[in-house]
Amino acid sequence: MTTLSLPTKSPAYTLEEGLREPAAASSVRRGAPDEWAREELLLRKLGPKGWGRVYQFRNYYESGWGDKGRVLSPRALDAFFRFLEEATFPAAKSTPSVFLTDRGGIELCWEDRNGKSMQVEFTGTGAEFYKAATDEEGSVAFDGLGQLSHRLSA
Amino acid sequence: MPLAQTEDIVRAVCTDKWDGERVSPSLFVGENISVSRLAVVPLADHWDLFRQYVQKPPERWLERIAQINVGRLQNIGRSQNPAVALTVEPKPVDWNMGHAEIPQKITRGLASKILPELTLHRPPTRDRE
Repeated sequence: MTTLSLPTKSPAYTLEEGLREPAAASSVRRGAPDEWAREELLLRKLGPKGWGRVYQFRNYYESGWGDKGRVLSPRALDAFFRFLEEATFPAAKSTPSVFLTDRGGIELCWEDRNGKSMQVEFTGTGAEFYKAATDEEGSVAFDGLGQLSHRLSA
Repeated sequence: MPLAQTEDIVRAVCTDKWDGERVSPSLFVGENISVSRLAVVPLADHWDLFRQYVQKPPERWLERIAQINVGRLQNIGRSQNPAVALTVEPKPVDWNMGHAEIPQKITRGLASKILPELTLHRPPTRDRE
């Protein structure tokens, strides 16, 4: 049996040593560990729809979307995840909804055990909330997010 | 001159403010909220208008049109504590002669009371349903 092989050709170009990557690193790029944890958190708390919407808001809504829409603030997203880690939502037929606000915040809406609306908008400075059961609205800074989460989840 | 209580106004609801189940309360939160007058542009024409000038594919699609009566809106504002005297001011723009604005600041709490009063219209065609 004869085996044919193509003659080896020298490559048309070569990368300089400084631009080459180690083989292991160039094979598969993985997200940072906390990014995986966030993805898992989104799926667990908000389901595939919530996960998909956050993905869209992060990756496809560029500055100027809509009328005067701002791109999603990374600090607002951090606040959102910080809140989500601590939050417990009542078992309901629908998972909480996620929205993008015009000022680059991310908004979470759900209903409490009595079907009353709960809302939190995460912004670059913390969060604004509304609890329909008590007609209470207010805002908290970043360091108050954990406490707010417990308060609204209870 | 503010719009009469008898007029009906509409607002575009796009993908960022609608997830198939709930409407975002922030649709009506803030100052100078843009709306459009049904007395100037019929509802059927608003679909084309909003698709042309408000939605921005591929990420932002027009999903619903929310409608409310001006008098009803004002009643909601009056029943808020403290009361808010809401008005709707005509502000025609090049692309929409029916454009108007609600100049007063609408808080999250007030917006939450407006939301259940909205009539949500579905697209007349089922091209994205």
